Amino acid sequence: MNILIEKKEFYEAVYKVARFAERKSTTLPVLSSVLIIAGSEGIKMRATNLETGVDLKLNGKCIHDGVVAISATILQQIAGALTQEGNITIEQKGDIISIVSGTGKSLIRTVPYDDFPLIPFPENSKNRIVMKGILLKNLFTSIASCSSSSTVRPELSSIYISIEGGVLTAVATDSFRLAEKKIPLTNKGTQGKFLIPAKNALDIAQALPDDDVIISFDDHQCAFVATQGIFVSRLTNAVYPDYRQIIPKESIVEAIILRKDFENALKHTTIFSDSFQKVKVSFNPKKNNFSFFAKNTEIGESSETISANISGSALDLSFNHRYLSAFLSLTTSESISLTAAGIGRPLIIKGVGDTSLLYLVSPMNQ
Amino acid sequence: MILTGSPRNASVVLCFDKGILQSTMDKGNPRELWEYVLTQVELSISPANFNTWFRNSFIVKIGDDGVLYVGVPSQFFKDWYLKKFHILLLKIIRDVSYEFRNIEYLIVKDERRKIVKETKNTRGAIGLPLDEFYINKSDNLNPRYTFDTFVIGSFNNLAYSAAQAALERPGITYNPLFIYGDTGRGKTHLIQAIGNQFKKQYQGRKVFYLTSEKFVVDYTDSVQAGTANRFKDKYRHYDLLIIDDIQFLSKKEMSGEELFHLFNHLHDNNKQIVFSSDRSPVAIPDIAERLKGRLASGMTVDIGEPDSESRMAIVRKKAASHGVMLSNEVIEYVATSMSGSIRELEGMVNSIVCHAQVNGVAPDISEVRQSLRSFTRPQKNISVKNVVDKVASFYGIDEESIYEKTRRREVVRPRQVIMYILREDFSISYPTIGAKLGGRDHTTVIHSCEKIKREVVVDSELSKEIQSIRTLLV
Repeated sequence: MNILIEKKEFYEAVYKVARFAERKSTTLPVLSSVLIIAGSEGIKMRATNLETGVDLKLNGKCIHDGVVAISATILQQIAGALTQEGNITIEQKGDIISIVSGTGKSLIRTVPYDDFPLIPFPENSKNRIVMKGILLKNLFTSIASCSSSSTVRPELSSIYISIEGGVLTAVATDSFRLAEKKIPLTNKGTQGKFLIPAKNALDIAQALPDDDVIISFDDHQCAFVATQGIFVSRLTNAVYPDYRQIIPKESIVEAIILRKDFENALKHTTIFSDSFQKVKVSFNPKKNNFSFFAKNTEIGESSETISANISGSALDLSFNHRYLSAFLSLTTSESISLTAAGIGRPLIIKGVGDTSLLYLVSPMNQ
Repeated sequence: MILTGSPRNASVVLCFDKGILQSTMDKGNPRELWEYVLTQVELSISPANFNTWFRNSFIVKIGDDGVLYVGVPSQFFKDWYLKKFHILLLKIIRDVSYEFRNIEYLIVKDERRKIVKETKNTRGAIGLPLDEFYINKSDNLNPRYTFDTFVIGSFNNLAYSAAQAALERPGITYNPLFIYGDTGRGKTHLIQAIGNQFKKQYQGRKVFYLTSEKFVVDYTDSVQAGTANRFKDKYRHYDLLIIDDIQFLSKKEMSGEELFHLFNHLHDNNKQIVFSSDRSPVAIPDIAERLKGRLASGMTVDIGEPDSESRMAIVRKKAASHGVMLSNEVIEYVATSMSGSIRELEGMVNSIVCHAQVNGVAPDISEVRQSLRSFTRPQKNISVKNVVDKVASFYGIDEESIYEKTRRREVVRPRQVIMYILREDFSISYPTIGAKLGGRDHTTVIHSCEKIKREVVVDSELSKEIQSIRTLLV
């Protein structure tokens, strides 16, 4: 194999691909490597940890065909140390490859690639949708944090994606709070649903390009196909709870608050929250304001009242402040609306004018 | 005889003798059939390949039409099985019986680890459990450690299967059997269970269990008394020798050499040897290369970290063996509230059992929470300086730079980790943390803690680092 690639192209490709390689060293050595393929389809890089997999195309000149596998960490370090503009050439001689960049030359021992697994693609091509990569990227990175980090319930450490009536709905919950985000699709025909592990979704989101991506899926596997390459992930084999049941249909009070006010007041009150991270919020329709209160026996207590547009009856609820502040990273709306259905019932938070996002947080005991 | 390449020899012997192994197997039993298939597969492919591809597979069912359904974890596995292992597996099962016509691969959740057999104990009476501490003098084995009380999960399944295989044909299949894993993972339990089972299965043959520390002491004593020759004979007449915690042999050159000769003697006479260690043979520092090679020459398996289902199963089993039935809620709480070893888990269960025996009823979740408070949050009193010291040395940076107003990347991350640990583990207030770390604003501290908390979720590397820092601080 002998290939010529621009340094920047090489760096970016390695950065994207290496995260898909296995990080644990206990398994097959070839799983912690990146496979570089030069052939009739151009230059490609592949990596997989048997959970997720990537097949990325690179722009470059292919002088001689060939296949090599190189340790992902070594490749990452080499790519990270590249400086200046220019090209690098990668040439294979036996089980050694040489990487020549400008003035430097390094020889690297390759890993036998016979055991490199196949990267599976969903066979049923009926289930496919097209959307902008940037939307998908934002979707995954924003709501993945709402999924559970424990592995006890695999469905809760996954993102639930359902496609119906030309709308893609993504849901993540860790059973304390829930985020639901909707994205309209251009092609309306497809229907289906799947559960992608949140960790895998994050890995893929980091590597997705901004332009159009085709998502195809079957029962066990999903693939994100872009012009630059293909990303696949295993799907979680579980039933997602019927989360719609827990969204309160009725409400007793609603508050419209400026995001800035909410953010500052929460930030200030959080300092005084106790070891349970408890913050009490009050809807005061008479005075038309909304207040925060927190008390910590070690530090002291604090209350913060902000003006708000309240309609309904007075209500006090306590929350883990983390779950309240997490909402702010999901939306950019200038003002937010909080809808409560009563004591012990979850609170709905939405951005005003942003119907795509719904955030549900369950209260703490008073 | 020279020992190198002994696994190859073993495989020849095994193939030659396949009839015996087959005839003892119930081919209608998916579990036994799969275990047989695994032992065959293992001989044909590299250990890394075997560990990667076969660890989580099993036979789901045997169809009436002669089709074998093999469950695999994902599409990756299915494709690879079809491409690489299909012919091999087909050949192996055809060897067993021509009734098997084909193999199909299904993608399934690994449900085996959830189905853990539970032994019910109806013993309600309270007595001093003295028999638990009974040790048989002639073989040094503790009868409490048996396979019946051993909980099998995905984390130790391979080790368990290897132990079973070694018992099937001691001295031949896997010799030596080397089991390693972190402290409190059940190594001692497993290897003692091998000893106890061996005693039961092969009456009249001799077993001996000892720790490597005892071996060293024995050797030095005999050298001192001038009876080194008698020492040589002492261990050579056993049919199964189990040596625990072999890593303590590091730097003990003469004892190591003695073990080397002992090993050769036993191995040449097809006597089974079982070792345990807290690390793999190659990672044991300061032991002779030739001994290292011998240790790794048979089967080397590690026991990983128990997953939560297995932990729950362990808690349930431990409690049941004391005659206490716990609610699922309590079991889940105990299993998940602490990330410690199985040994610590056992400690918690014991304290619950003690409660139950005093009160006469199984405790509910709130009582358990109360009584386990001392386990879940150890009272730690530790100075900020101490934490800074430990973290700085962990990351290899200057302790002073933590307090300075520098924003160098290599300092910022450790500083954030310090803040996070002080906040999470020691519940120190944000302003205090700020003040102690060079007069920083409390918002800086909050930001740092939040940042690390967020990253810990997605960055397994970081969470590992923090985990190891925590162990440094205990």
